[in-house]
Amino acid sequence: MSERRIALENGCAEFEADLVLYYYGEGQEAERRRVESHLETCRRCVHFMDDLEGLLPRMSKTTELPQNFWDNYYREVVHKLNQEREEISWWRSLIPSFGGWTIPAFGTAVVVVLAVALVFGKGDWSVRSNATQQENIPQEILSDSSRLEFFGSLDLLESLATLENMDGSRRESVEVRSL
Amino acid sequence: MAFCQRGETKYFEILVRRYMEKAFHIALNFTRNTEEAKDLSQDAFLRAFTRIKQFDGRSSFYTWFYRLVVNICLDFTRRKNKIGWESLEATCDGAPERAELTDVSSLPEDVTMAREAKRRADRTLETMPKKQRTAFLLRNHQGLSIADIAKVMKTTEATVRVYLHRAVSALRQSLLEFV
Repeated sequence: MSERRIALENGCAEFEADLVLYYYGEGQEAERRRVESHLETCRRCVHFMDDLEGLLPRMSKTTELPQNFWDNYYREVVHKLNQEREEISWWRSLIPSFGGWTIPAFGTAVVVVLAVALVFGKGDWSVRSNATQQENIPQEILSDSSRLEFFGSLDLLESLATLENMDGSRRESVEVRSL
Repeated sequence: MAFCQRGETKYFEILVRRYMEKAFHIALNFTRNTEEAKDLSQDAFLRAFTRIKQFDGRSSFYTWFYRLVVNICLDFTRRKNKIGWESLEATCDGAPERAELTDVSSLPEDVTMAREAKRRADRTLETMPKKQRTAFLLRNHQGLSIADIAKVMKTTEATVRVYLHRAVSALRQSLLEFV
């Protein structure tokens, strides 16, 4: 085994690709003859070919499957094909009833509607944004809109008190300075 | 093919019969799970049916169809890899769907060795770049020519040769002790 490993490492690199093709029966006649003549003199490449012949056919072996597997397989494909055909024919039956021009006409109509909506619908969107703001206000407050004014006045009073406080603290600081 | 492109399933069913085993085994190579392989390959047939009008006849149907299957499988493995490596490990340990590198008629120790080799091969395939893995699976497991693989993968033959060589070298390195 160790001898073979050494042979692998020191193999004829320039011939390996050709040997693979030779094994698979590929390549031009001249190339094949060149490989054959090389194999007559090179023990390493003969080992390489032996390895390929020992390994590759075993890798391609596949399990024989019973006939009923293939029968079922075929039946399933045919069933799926029929389903597929029915779906296709359903679509095809729709298209001729409307005529071939309906699809581009429908597409154009959609584009026109969208364009009109974009041009003239800006005002509506701003209203919608106000509406979303109103949606955030609890329902019990909305039911009585006068309460909203009450809350508004509370905010005003709060800000007045803040101003007065600020004014008071400023006066105190002026008095302290004058002392 | 013209009948299939008109949406007639009975003609498409002939294609299903012809390619179902290949489609299933490609998916199985990617997923290593029978149920997932069945679902993915059946999904590929449905997609092929719905997209059959996109098939322009410049390549053969099977090249076009293989491309669909491979893309579906790659999408699936990409999504699955996001879920995690551990779940993938659990799937392949628990489901002995693939007989690669295993021979049940051998001695118990041989079976253990073969299982270990299979595990290592699976892991090497999992960790190698997707394009290398795809090229390898299509060549080694599906027997596609390099020219066809190039069409399926939408790349050049030279690139496929490089992918194939790298994949085979990586597998040989990882499995050398089992040869």
